[in-house]
Amino acid sequence: MDPRQFEHIVVKDNDIQSIVMSYLLHNCFDETADSLASTTGIHQPVIDRDNMERRKQIMHCILEKKALKAVELTEQLGQDLLEKNKDLHFDLLCLHFVELVCDGKSKEALEFAKTSLAPFGMVQKYVGKLEDAIALLAYEDPEKSPMFYLLSSEYRQQVADNLNRTLLEHANQPSYTPMERLLQQVTVARQYLTEENGKDAFPPFSLKDYVKG
Amino acid sequence: MENNEVLGSKGLLKKHEFVRILIQCLYSLGYKNSASCLEQESNISCKSSDFEFLEKQVLTGDWDSSLAVLDRVFDDSRDDSRRNTALYLVLKQCLSEYLRRGETSLALSVLQKQAQVFRVGREKIHMLAFDVITSKEMEPGEVDSCLVQDLRRRLLAELEKLIPTPVVIPGRRLEHLVESAVMNQIDTCMYHNSWDAVSLYEDHRCGRDQIPSETVQVLVAHKNEVWFVQFSDSGKYLATASSDCTAIIWKVLDDNEVELMHTLQSHQNPVSFVSWSPDDTKLLTCGNAEVLKLWDVETGVLRHTFGNNDSVFTVSSCAWFPDSTRLVCGSSDPERGIVMWDTDGNEIKAWRGTRIPKVVDLAVTPDGESMITVFSDKEIRILNLESLVERVVTEEQAITSLSVSGDGKFFIVNLSSQEIHLWDLAGEWKQPLKFTGHRQSKYVIRSCFGGLDSSFIASGSEDSQVYIWNVKNKKPLEVLSGHSMTVNCVSWNPRNPLMLASASDDQTIRIWGPGKPVR
Repeated sequence: MDPRQFEHIVVKDNDIQSIVMSYLLHNCFDETADSLASTTGIHQPVIDRDNMERRKQIMHCILEKKALKAVELTEQLGQDLLEKNKDLHFDLLCLHFVELVCDGKSKEALEFAKTSLAPFGMVQKYVGKLEDAIALLAYEDPEKSPMFYLLSSEYRQQVADNLNRTLLEHANQPSYTPMERLLQQVTVARQYLTEENGKDAFPPFSLKDYVKG
Repeated sequence: MENNEVLGSKGLLKKHEFVRILIQCLYSLGYKNSASCLEQESNISCKSSDFEFLEKQVLTGDWDSSLAVLDRVFDDSRDDSRRNTALYLVLKQCLSEYLRRGETSLALSVLQKQAQVFRVGREKIHMLAFDVITSKEMEPGEVDSCLVQDLRRRLLAELEKLIPTPVVIPGRRLEHLVESAVMNQIDTCMYHNSWDAVSLYEDHRCGRDQIPSETVQVLVAHKNEVWFVQFSDSGKYLATASSDCTAIIWKVLDDNEVELMHTLQSHQNPVSFVSWSPDDTKLLTCGNAEVLKLWDVETGVLRHTFGNNDSVFTVSSCAWFPDSTRLVCGSSDPERGIVMWDTDGNEIKAWRGTRIPKVVDLAVTPDGESMITVFSDKEIRILNLESLVERVVTEEQAITSLSVSGDGKFFIVNLSSQEIHLWDLAGEWKQPLKFTGHRQSKYVIRSCFGGLDSSFIASGSEDSQVYIWNVKNKKPLEVLSGHSMTVNCVSWNPRNPLMLASASDDQTIRIWGPGKPVR
């Protein structure tokens, strides 16, 4: 069978709608999900609405620079959750520290770092990031420091995504959406074909090209 | 008070610098009164005015001033890393003091402003921030003013090591200069053979009383030519081998007198080589037309004959590994190769075949890591026993013998062209060091390293004399007469730099000791 003859494969509408729905639910877009359900008549899967609400709340806390609140809400969902995911816990605490520094609350930031962040310095893998974060204290204008990436919204989004996945895992739900998996699968399959048959026969998978049509 | 007066016969020494290091020396020897007296008399101060000022600022905790002084002092020097370290140390002490007193805002402002103003560098700034959070010394607590002064003094001591001259002069400068001069004199001293302290009253020069150069004993026991002599590693025993088919173990007594201990009889043919186990308990004997035998030193009893009664397995040379239980021997028959045994007679490893021609001589380095083999008759192969990497050195003339230095870093070979070549084991030298003066054309003549740090080489010679060179000079330092026929082999006592033994065709062994000083 020729891998280029994918046009002969029939894809059901239902399947596509399920994929979109799972993506929306994964990322807590509850209103959009409801809207999609009512428009297409697709049956919403039975998911834990409560869990999704909480996740939505927690994500927003992080993006709205309320990292400590996010920690509190996470602990409500599962006491040992952060215990078991020290990397994530550390990232959240760092975010809170960054918030304090940006608010100009240097003294508070210093105190917080001493009590909550310093213990992580005992473990080799956290030292690099810890040094970067703490160094922010030495700059009157943190935005101008070499570690400005810690202040960016992209970074916050990254931490939020990690937390989201961890929360889903904790609730025994898949931590990756089918959409992501499909894209990953296509890329790998393409890579394999390219390796076997050369770049001319099978150029590497590019989503951008597909979207353009 | 600097003026332009100079000292020394060539006018190369500045007087004020000379006096300043004299004052430093007096202080470091503990003669405070004399030092301070000299400071007054000469009007020269040991500490520069900049440093005195810095001292005052640091001890009173005036950090802004301290930083400014350091900034100025380092202005000329191009050594950024020392500058940044010095400023970092001052900032760290300053932050530590503020935080201990609970003055957090002040500390933060220092961190954010001063550190940047003085351009200490990103690495140091980040280190300071990290220290502030994690260091125990930055915790608020009891302020003990004694402790604070102590810490400030320690800071000054650290700064002294970083600040360039002439603001601070390196510690013990005079001592260092004098020692350099003495080391230079020792370098040119050809007879130098001990690490004792030397006198400063005269330029250092050793004489022939520092090396073995006079016969102190003649050992008569062998009934024919003596071909080999070697001291044991501990220097307490001596072994000799002869064409009379025996080997003799001698004991070196406390007063350096040598006494016969055991005569080892079993060989049917002349014995031309012996090897001591590093722990002194065993001796190997072999010969060009003879097999390899193992003896117990204490009792003189034969322990083992190697080769499974294969009387054709003749061994020209052998060597021990540092564990005194493994040994290796090379055959004088081509293709018989090199065999590694244990002392019970079990074969551990062997190198045989067409690549292995006749072995002329063989040695193992004292650390057991490398094996050096001389193959018939111009090739030296150095094999690293761990990595099995082999290096080959090819000579242009036939090699008759091999000897390794005490530290295992060098080896010498005697060539039938009357030259001794010294090579480095590491293989960095393109050319060997060459030594000449002795006579060698027909026979196997052996040489050895000796003296303090293997700085001498001794060799036998066909003109019946013993030749001694200092490694630094290709011409002989001393030529020792006494034997009446060819001297075949020499051995320098590894533990007594003043004792040398020589073996001769005249059937005797001579022990040499320190010469009389030439007045």
